[in-house]
Amino acid sequence: MITVTINGKGIKLEKPATVLEAARIAGIKIPTLCYHEGLELYGGCRLCMVEVEKMPKLQTACTLYVTDGMVVRTESEQITKARRGVLEFLLINHPLDCPYCDKAGECELQDLVMKYGPTTGRFEEGKRKHPESFDDPIIVRNMERCVVCTRCVRMCDGVQGASAIAVTNRGSHSFIEPFSSGEYNCEYCGNCLAVCPVGAIMSRLHRHAYRAWQVEQEVNTVCSYCGVGCSMVLQVREDTIKRVIPKIGLGVNKGLLCARGRFGYEYVGSHERLSSPLVKKNGKLEPATWDEALTTVANRLKEIKERFGGEAIAGVASPRCTNEDNYVFQKLFRAGLGSNNIDSSARLGYAGAQKYLEGILGQGATANIISGIVNSEGVFIIGGDPTHINPILGIQVRAAFRKGVRVITVGYTPGLERFRTAGLLPYPYTEGMLLSGLLEELLKIKSLPGGNKAFEAKINEFKRLSAGDIEKVCNITKEELSQAAKALSDISSVSMVIGRDIIQCTGASTNLFLLAAIAYILDARVYLLSERPNEQGLIDMGCLPDTLPGGRPLEIGSFRKRDEDVWDCQIPSKEGMTLMEIIESANTGSIKAIYVMGENPVYNLPDTNFVKNALERLGFLVVHDIFMTETAAMADVVLPSLSWAEKDGTYTNLERRIQRLRKAINRQGMEDWRILSEVGKKIGLKMPYNSAEDVMTEISMVSPLHAGLTYEDIERGLDQWPYKGEPLRQGLGVGDRGPVKIQMPGHKGRLYLSIEKPLFHSGTLSRRAQALNSIYPEPVVKINPETAKKFGLKDGDIVAVTSSKGNLILPVRTDKLIGESIVLVTNTFKGKGAMSLLSYKLDPITKIPCIDAVEVTIEKVVNI
Amino acid sequence: MNRTDELIKEIQEVKKSYPKTKAALLPVLYLAQREFGWLRPEALEFVSEALDIPKATVKGVATFYAMYKHKLMGRHLIQLCTNVSCMIFGAERLVDFLKNKYGLEVGGTTADGRFSLVIMECIGACGTAPAMLVNDDFYENLTEKYIEEILEKYK
Ligand code: SF4
Ligand code: SF4
Ligand code: SF4
Ligand code: FES
Ligand code: FES
Repeated sequence: MITVTINGKGIKLEKPATVLEAARIAGIKIPTLCYHEGLELYGGCRLCMVEVEKMPKLQTACTLYVTDGMVVRTESEQITKARRGVLEFLLINHPLDCPYCDKAGECELQDLVMKYGPTTGRFEEGKRKHPESFDDPIIVRNMERCVVCTRCVRMCDGVQGASAIAVTNRGSHSFIEPFSSGEYNCEYCGNCLAVCPVGAIMSRLHRHAYRAWQVEQEVNTVCSYCGVGCSMVLQVREDTIKRVIPKIGLGVNKGLLCARGRFGYEYVGSHERLSSPLVKKNGKLEPATWDEALTTVANRLKEIKERFGGEAIAGVASPRCTNEDNYVFQKLFRAGLGSNNIDSSARLGYAGAQKYLEGILGQGATANIISGIVNSEGVFIIGGDPTHINPILGIQVRAAFRKGVRVITVGYTPGLERFRTAGLLPYPYTEGMLLSGLLEELLKIKSLPGGNKAFEAKINEFKRLSAGDIEKVCNITKEELSQAAKALSDISSVSMVIGRDIIQCTGASTNLFLLAAIAYILDARVYLLSERPNEQGLIDMGCLPDTLPGGRPLEIGSFRKRDEDVWDCQIPSKEGMTLMEIIESANTGSIKAIYVMGENPVYNLPDTNFVKNALERLGFLVVHDIFMTETAAMADVVLPSLSWAEKDGTYTNLERRIQRLRKAINRQGMEDWRILSEVGKKIGLKMPYNSAEDVMTEISMVSPLHAGLTYEDIERGLDQWPYKGEPLRQGLGVGDRGPVKIQMPGHKGRLYLSIEKPLFHSGTLSRRAQALNSIYPEPVVKINPETAKKFGLKDGDIVAVTSSKGNLILPVRTDKLIGESIVLVTNTFKGKGAMSLLSYKLDPITKIPCIDAVEVTIEKVVNI
Repeated sequence: MNRTDELIKEIQEVKKSYPKTKAALLPVLYLAQREFGWLRPEALEFVSEALDIPKATVKGVATFYAMYKHKLMGRHLIQLCTNVSCMIFGAERLVDFLKNKYGLEVGGTTADGRFSLVIMECIGACGTAPAMLVNDDFYENLTEKYIEEILEKYK
């Protein structure tokens, strides 16, 4: 126990604290400028000076730790004079252009000068000149206003880990700059501008659009981009989002955001938004009234159900929609249309993997909190770069590495290049074999723990590859492999971060089996990277062909009965089709109608032409969306839904934390759940909801996982799995898997297509966000400089990337971190994406469409 | 072995003398300056790659120090002191002399690229002021005539 007296007030402290922290605990305010809660201590601005008895000079409260019996005064004439002096110095170079500066009203310097500052300065030399820089498309820099507190640099270096900016020059000539002196070319998280106390680094998105005090409403919600589910505040004025900011201490992100979250909101106000329902008449989509459109949908679905049965209808749910939307979606199908053909794009990776791993490792096996990564002793990453896919989770990995945690990556992870102990780059499509070898090595060191005998028998029976085999097949040396195994096995807590690339390649279920085995042996915490905000939620809501809400298997009659009682209907007991099976059946004609909610299958599924042809064969296609997507353009009825900022509801993130989305602005259109309820009512279903909260009330009755859960509970923090419910069962699954296929694609001279998951884009939404487009404006094909050399290519050359499915014409960008036989293309821009070049095969167990080794050629295009 | 490989080898040597790579940054910046003529962006990027230190950080460190060349300079660098002692002994006149005779401005370079002039704040030779450095060579008790003689040695 430490006792300190501040301004005559005695304060008892359990833990060591700085004078500033102790004062804050006691409710005493000490002015600060360079101090920031989330950053390393600096002690540079000298504004927080206080008097400490028995110390001759003033001390900086932000860096001085209290000792027992210390007596501190935070205000006195001497202190005020000193603070005034500091401010006078700071203002020497400051332009005092508050009337014109966007920061005015929330500027820490302005506030301090109002309170302590001198009214005039005595400095007579000229001020430092630094014209405002508009070189960057989204960050504007005004270095005349900079007070060199280094908050931005400490943020970029010490927290974000991008180290893109630095204090340049010295003394009174110092200022902050990115390397280029112009554009930032950084990760564009904007975390630097969030901590700048003055108007020196600011976002251009809302420049001169409003004043801090003119914000009419601040709405707490979660991000619409990825499965991390960052908490954020939407600042609203005149019914438009003016700015998105995080709140320190709030949510999984604790005051940080990534580029998509902070700068990606503009799609909401895009002029391309759909505003009226559209119904196809004479082969053309024409505006229609809601009633006409909804009646058409209900009647057509009813007709098809009567003629061909419910199995002829299928639904594609959406990981972008809320739990409430997805719940009502599957209810419409199960209770109203008599079909279990419900799946979503989550099948491409997350859902297939999540169900599989849970089956073996137990329900909730992937429900681990993100902050656990930094507290583990080792991190194993495979299948994607977390700093791109789930950036805030990626930052946790960086923080872990900084803390001394071992980080081992497999594959292309450019964002962790400076943050890993070992990086293994096996030949393309041999990652699965690498896992087999790793398992073998681990089993040499560790024995099976003995919890799940059936699974252990499977592990024993699995024909594993030796380190020697791996050296031949994967191009990973025996030493590299055994070192990796050793690094992971002599510690007590390992986090495994798994991305989609290892899940959707050939042998998906074998890879998952191996991942499960490794996680089982190491007793690792599993994190599945999630590219959409509600992949976990739609699983929990039962938007799967074999699972009811709450993760209950459809096959068990008593579970069906429970839902049937609430819904007052019969649920078909036959398991439905998975995503690609739905498309394939549309192609063969056994599926007659598809109902798509907030998804764009034509663009997001492999083999675009096949998907398109299949959808063309349908008798009826209905699409809810906020934009006219490639899929919506083919629909018979298009219903304009509401975006994330315009509705209430909940998302479940990859930790399985359920979080509230709150409506911030108004717009014409209907929430997806409301559209579905209207359709449902027209076909005779009971849909007793007036609000998203009403839907949640029903969810809490139907799903045992969410039993009794209310919005109030979520707000109170009962948001982490298993909420108020009980997990279903222990994982005793044995881990069925498809046949093992040792494939050794010849690597020399061949090129394989791989999908890039860019930090700045997600697809349909991000490509309508101007700011994101301005930093990553067009698709490129990324190759290794050596590959470029071999083909006589250089940056900027236009090439044709051709597979057996077609080609894409794109400019070349070289990147030395990419494997030499890899051709990396994104699937996020308008027009044809990389998915159009891919073909797939279904994994027999998980039904994940596995993208096989797709060979491509690249060729320079002259004069297109 | 080409020059770049040689430079990398030298850098590896320098790195060995320090427990942490970051500590090798200052000497390595000198090496890069020697190779690239001045610390132009390519030089900083080179150092960043060689030491695996982010390039913005490298730039921040490099620009902190006045002792590096931050722009293209002449073949020979004159560092003339004009601080108190030197000033009293006429250093300002020497500055004018350099300007009139060689067309050499403070912070500038002669048209033929032969000399650059940087003004120093005391080089520790107050007792024999005025003083200057030409490259690494030290000269004291300067006069206009003496400077003329000295500079003849540097072509
Ligand atoms: S936006 Fe992010 S990465 Fe870029 S300079 Fe700021 S903190 Fe660094
Ligand atoms: S730009 Fe802002 S945060 Fe960065 S040093 Fe200057 S005043 Fe501080
Ligand atoms: S990490 Fe994901 S949830 Fe967080 S701000 Fe970025 S995109 Fe949004
Ligand atoms: S806040 Fe303490 S020195 Fe800046
Ligand atoms: S003043 Fe010129 S050397 Fe000291």
